[in-house]
Amino acid sequence: MAIVVERRDPLTQAQGVERGYAQTARRWPAAPLVRRPLGASELSGPQPVLQRLPAVRGDLAGHGEKRALGQLIRVRIRVVDEGGVPVGGAAVEAWHCNAAGKYIHPNDSHDAPVDPNFYGAARLTANDAGLVELRTIKPGAYPVPDTGGWWRPPHIHFSVWGRVWLSRLVTQMFFPGEPLNEADAILNAIRDPQARARCVAQHVPSQTNELVYDYQVVVRGRESTALMR
Amino acid sequence: MKLVPTAEMTLGPFFPREFAQGANDLASASANAIEITGRVTELDGKPLDNLVLEIWQADAAGRLDNPDFPGWGRAATDAKGEYRFRTVRPGALPGRAAHINFLILYSGLMRQLQTTLFFEAARDPVLDAVEASRRNLLVAQRVSEKRYRFDIRLRGDDETPFFDD
Repeated sequence: MAIVVERRDPLTQAQGVERGYAQTARRWPAAPLVRRPLGASELSGPQPVLQRLPAVRGDLAGHGEKRALGQLIRVRIRVVDEGGVPVGGAAVEAWHCNAAGKYIHPNDSHDAPVDPNFYGAARLTANDAGLVELRTIKPGAYPVPDTGGWWRPPHIHFSVWGRVWLSRLVTQMFFPGEPLNEADAILNAIRDPQARARCVAQHVPSQTNELVYDYQVVVRGRESTALMR
Repeated sequence: MKLVPTAEMTLGPFFPREFAQGANDLASASANAIEITGRVTELDGKPLDNLVLEIWQADAAGRLDNPDFPGWGRAATDAKGEYRFRTVRPGALPGRAAHINFLILYSGLMRQLQTTLFFEAARDPVLDAVEASRRNLLVAQRVSEKRYRFDIRLRGDDETPFFDD
């Protein structure tokens, strides 16, 4: 099965130095990126990556007395390729801060309380339909240090493996109706409004005690024959 | 159907420590293991902490689909910007010099950066795509028979060449 990967579209993919995000000017290469021919090593990939990375935790909200504080949510993630074909078995990592805006990471110096019942890192495997469900609590917003008032809106980080090396995707999912979305330097670095809108999950009415969101992830690449359909 | 790939975004500074650990040894019990270490820096040579590197490579015989060799690994830099992989020296693929694909994720990078480690300045279509004066920046320094050094400079003097694809 040959996989085709096309170049990124600068309208739908941010890169380079971004005003309002000072670190980009210290880290993004100054020299133009080099075009290279793609061969077997770039267009293959670690298929059984979960042999190296075991599924660790699929429920971050907990139960009973161990319930994490915050609004209970369920995010239904669907992983597909550019041809719309579900990526069954895709590995998905998710991490986010607690309801007060504090990460479990020791480098987070934000003055917000730790929740002893919340550990914000999950690794899951998509089923044959490319579906993954993450039960957790809604993350809080938090200020970015030394930026003169930039607040990150509530968001969940996702890391996803697609079909080949060049399909690797690390992104963030946002929540609908959040005022902070309008000014976020990361979300708004995506120029195309529709591409930006696809980074915001859709709320789905539910009868349970969880707010439910749908979120589709499209990884780069498609089968070379998929165009023929 | 043709869907637009989801926009990549920065890794952020708080990639869980748990995720960054335990995947930088691809060689397990191999007697031919090599060690690749390096420092990752930003402008002005400042080292970067908790930056994530992932690699993808062939096995020692040049196979990309060996079920007994993972081919994939992940490491994170420490506070000095240093990372370490333990792996095997990959065999050459047809038409290619021996190489290891590197992917870099970090806060301040709006998307992943891709580069490639070579073991010598051999003819290779990917290495040849880089202007001649910068190719040496993609060739790992041989410290000893089983140890290599591959420093990565994201921006500034002797900036590492990165690929657009």
